[in-house]
Amino acid sequence: MTEASERGSLAVELRNVDKAFYGVKANEDVSFELRRGEVHALLGENGAGKSTLCSILAGLYRPDAGEMLVDGSPVHFKSPKDAFAAGIGMVYQHFRLVPNLTVAENLALGHPDLGVRIDEKQLQAEAAELGESYGLPIDPKARVWQLSVGEQQRVEILKLLYRQAKVLILDEPTAVLTPQEGQQLFKTMRQMADEGRSVIFVSHKLHEVKQVSDRVTVLRGGRNVGGVATADAEPRDLARMMVGRDLELPTRDEAAGFGPPVLIVRDLRVLSDRGLEAVRGINFEVRAGEVLGIAGVSGNGQRELAYGMVGLRTPAGGQVLIGDDDVTSTDVLNHIRKGVAYVPQSRLGMGLAPGLATDDNLALKAFRDPPFSQGPRLVRSAFRDRGEELIAQYDIRGVRPGLPIRLLSGGNLQKALIAREVELKPKVLIARSPTRGLDVGATEAVRNLVLRERERGTAVLLISEDLDELLALSDRLVVMYEGQIVGEISADDATAERLGLLMAGHGDGPG
Amino acid sequence: MTARRLIVEPRGLASIQLTLLIPLLAVFAALIVGGVFLALTGDNPFSVYRHMVDTAFGSSRGLSETLISATPLILTGLAAAVAFKMLVWNIGAEGQFLLGAIFSSGMAIAMGDGAPAVVVVPVVVIAGGIGGALWASISAIPRVYLGVNEIITTLMLNFIALNLMNYLIFGSSSPWRDPAVSTFPSGRPIPDSGRLPEFFNRLDIGFIIAAVLALVAWFLIGKTRWGFEVQVVGDSPDTARYAGIGVPRKILGVFLLSGLFAGLAGGLYVAGPVGALDPRSLDLGLGFTGIIVAALARLNPVAVIPVGILMGALNNSGPSLQSIGVPPEIVIMLQGAILIFAVGGEFFIANRLRRPEKAPAGVAGLEAA
Amino acid sequence: MNDTQLVLTIFAAMSLGTPLIFATVGEIITERAGILNLGVQGIMLVGAVSGFWATFETGSLILGVVVAMIAGAVFSLIHAFASITLRVSQIVSGLALTLFGTGLASFLGKAGSDPLVGEPARETFDPMLTSGIADWPVIGPLVFGHDIMVYVAWVVAGAASYYVFHTRMGLSLRAVGEDPASAESAGVNVAWVRYAHVMAGGALAGLGGAYFSLALVPTWQDDPIGAAGWIAIALVILASWRPWRAVFAAYLFGAATRIQFTLQTLGEPWSDIPSTILAMLPFVLAIVAMLALTSGKRARLLGAPAALAIPYFREQR
Repeated sequence: MTEASERGSLAVELRNVDKAFYGVKANEDVSFELRRGEVHALLGENGAGKSTLCSILAGLYRPDAGEMLVDGSPVHFKSPKDAFAAGIGMVYQHFRLVPNLTVAENLALGHPDLGVRIDEKQLQAEAAELGESYGLPIDPKARVWQLSVGEQQRVEILKLLYRQAKVLILDEPTAVLTPQEGQQLFKTMRQMADEGRSVIFVSHKLHEVKQVSDRVTVLRGGRNVGGVATADAEPRDLARMMVGRDLELPTRDEAAGFGPPVLIVRDLRVLSDRGLEAVRGINFEVRAGEVLGIAGVSGNGQRELAYGMVGLRTPAGGQVLIGDDDVTSTDVLNHIRKGVAYVPQSRLGMGLAPGLATDDNLALKAFRDPPFSQGPRLVRSAFRDRGEELIAQYDIRGVRPGLPIRLLSGGNLQKALIAREVELKPKVLIARSPTRGLDVGATEAVRNLVLRERERGTAVLLISEDLDELLALSDRLVVMYEGQIVGEISADDATAERLGLLMAGHGDGPG
Repeated sequence: MTARRLIVEPRGLASIQLTLLIPLLAVFAALIVGGVFLALTGDNPFSVYRHMVDTAFGSSRGLSETLISATPLILTGLAAAVAFKMLVWNIGAEGQFLLGAIFSSGMAIAMGDGAPAVVVVPVVVIAGGIGGALWASISAIPRVYLGVNEIITTLMLNFIALNLMNYLIFGSSSPWRDPAVSTFPSGRPIPDSGRLPEFFNRLDIGFIIAAVLALVAWFLIGKTRWGFEVQVVGDSPDTARYAGIGVPRKILGVFLLSGLFAGLAGGLYVAGPVGALDPRSLDLGLGFTGIIVAALARLNPVAVIPVGILMGALNNSGPSLQSIGVPPEIVIMLQGAILIFAVGGEFFIANRLRRPEKAPAGVAGLEAA
Repeated sequence: MNDTQLVLTIFAAMSLGTPLIFATVGEIITERAGILNLGVQGIMLVGAVSGFWATFETGSLILGVVVAMIAGAVFSLIHAFASITLRVSQIVSGLALTLFGTGLASFLGKAGSDPLVGEPARETFDPMLTSGIADWPVIGPLVFGHDIMVYVAWVVAGAASYYVFHTRMGLSLRAVGEDPASAESAGVNVAWVRYAHVMAGGALAGLGGAYFSLALVPTWQDDPIGAAGWIAIALVILASWRPWRAVFAAYLFGAATRIQFTLQTLGEPWSDIPSTILAMLPFVLAIVAMLALTSGKRARLLGAPAALAIPYFREQR
């Protein structure tokens, strides 16, 4: 071991780094120090610039200005390849594994030290052995698409260890894990740090940061607003640094009593893309003016449940009722007409037409009727007038007439989408992770919109992985695990711990 | 740091000037490439181009011939434009054009001279459109209901259509074949009542029909509910499904409309200037040229008209080049080059390049929320 | 025995299939990188004319082949630049290449004071063995009686298969075609891999074109390759993106092309089938294969690269 690799010495240093995307600053004048053998937490709200900073470290983005030093010498990464060569690797929030290749092939992909020929057998043996030694067991012959999300994360970490990375960046690794899986990950992180590696742990969850890290750096609005040793930091101080003000939970008026059941789901069964039963007999009711939260780690049938309720996928069994109307097996248009509004998870993938103008997107569900259409003809002026009205009313910023909606920021996209949905005056609002990836201000705006619907007497179904979001909005919570409901908790009794156990399948219900 | 690379940024909406300028530059760049090849093979590019312009536009006869050449190109251009806009890759306009020609000539021959032209002409023309749409349906139905990629099926159907036409004229004694000529097989001339009336030299009303159809297509896509649904499907099929739009039927409709336009091109061409199912006059690659027209017109149905005339001018001037000793294939080469530069130009319409030093403020409506 | 129609037909099918093997393997490699190149027809024509010209000028077949491959690679660079760097529609860009190549090849064949058109090739690829083991019944001509390029095609297909599935570069290639963003973050240079394989595919298509003008149709004429480039694109699916399968797919289509001549020689009633109808056969076969192999969800199982024809943006936020 050389002197530079001694524990506690600087592994990586960033000096005054700037990075902007299309004129929007994601990182501004950020300086950052990472020591050997430490778990260093990067704390910050969504949109604070954590992911951008990590992507710069990992060579995916190039900084617009500033310096980066590895082991004390300046580096200029042109691609992740250069970062790997310097011993830095990253596990992204959205995994970067090739689904159709095997685990072993994914480990070998892009590895600089492999020969021309690939010995699949030897590779598999090495992969299995590596997994064992870090408490990350995997089947090296499995194709990545066959693995669970937690297993895929293990492959990502092994990919870095297989390349002998000295610096591992984990971008919100616990977001896709149950609290129990998270604990196992923390053990692996400590083991890696004890070996003299450095781990950057990105999170916006204070308790996790407090538990696992040695030091914390807090980012806010793209800037570094301070770094401390974790042991010296009070959670409340960290929270204030992160948010820039004292946290304010949205005020949720106590329900004045709920109305009759509006959304009724009976023994619903829905198939996945691969034809397996992803929703396996689900029952629940949502009453008018009630928010029912469905918690669960993603990939447990939430997507199929939503599709089955809004008509995007014909259920394989069971019933969906809106009030007294049975809408099972009818098409999407019928669901819309019966008063079902839907906020999908990926805004630009489904829900908005990215290349069409904001006006067009705001009329995407109402365009069939007057004033937007007269017979087969479109009334363009109605689109414009209504668009202007909603843009003002819902405070949608950055819109320019005629420009495609994809140019709006995430928060404004979501406001536009929800504005359109609630303007239909729905009886039922189904929303999936509506605040995912939004900054603090937009999160608040979106939550308030959802709560306003609740007050209006809409039956709201909130499907989310984010416990904060669920606890802030729901009147009642159920947990979904492997396509079934495994437990129900009223909002007052709900704790992250109890939910966590249920989400991991340790329920008291069926399953 | 050494010279920093240019930063590529998507543009929100390109200015009208730019969307006009870039296609013009594409044509200009193609002319330069063609000029280089002409010069290398010993011709003076300026005199060759001069000759081409004179042929295409220098006389009223030349102008009318240019518009005659433009008529099918406007329609095959529309066929490509409406399809590509919706990411339906119908590259079978060639075959649909030939089927249109077969249907139209067949209908005209079947109806004979018995009925007046006012009745026969519309029937003949519409038959062509139906022929094209039917031929397109062979690819469209598997695409929509089975997910079979249409690129290869439409392409292969081009060659099947070509052989079908050859069979009707060269390989059989079908009603399309002229029984009067026994030396070399050729198409039976269609009766006069099935021919399109001419009004400017040899130019017939087909040109007007094509131009009107371009305007109709523009209205249909931009100003109707159906067109709005088509635009949503073209932009994001998942979002369209989400909004309750029947995606398969929209794709099918657009595909058949595309085939209809290509078929009408063939119908108008046999009922107009050609006057018979004549393989030598019909196997000209007019379907493929339509793709160039659509690309250079940036899939805008109205812009298809002037671009169609430009390509018609090139097609019209090609054969005359032989008189000055230049291979007429220079025209195909120029058209190919125009397409290359036109697609390349799309990059500059969609993106802007800037130096990394200074960030422009508030680019393209992006603001932090 | 070696003069029977069956042997002659299979022999001809192998000859006619040889250029298809080159072009199909080239397109498979290109598509494995996630780039659809509809310019094959144009590239083959450019290869055909440049290979013919080089051999015509120098009398060397090897130089003809080398020039055709370089021409194919350079010509396909246009498509690589448009689809990888400019990220425009690969479909339109490929078609542009075909149109330009078709015009260019015809133009070059006719241009100048001493045009190539109508000239016979100065050298052609001829069978390596004409007696001895090449006279053995059936396997003599079919296995030993061909010109060298038939065997080169086997080697190319086999080597390409090994390359794609058992080498480090092949792994990168497959990853780039499946999921370029993941490949990039694993340290693979996506743009480089794509450029290299589009150009390699172009070189093979150019070689296929040269086989037409230097072996199958050894007199320069305007359109020496028929629809071979288009057929090659269809064969990629029939070969399900596996290079070695391209050999069988190509021979099958060689046979379909040849069948009209064979039936002619069989006398009535076979010779009564119009040649125009028989000429449809390869294209009908391609459509039937498409329908049989890619209906429903089968296309994905077949091995189509997931990122095929999708432009890749590196610094996308």
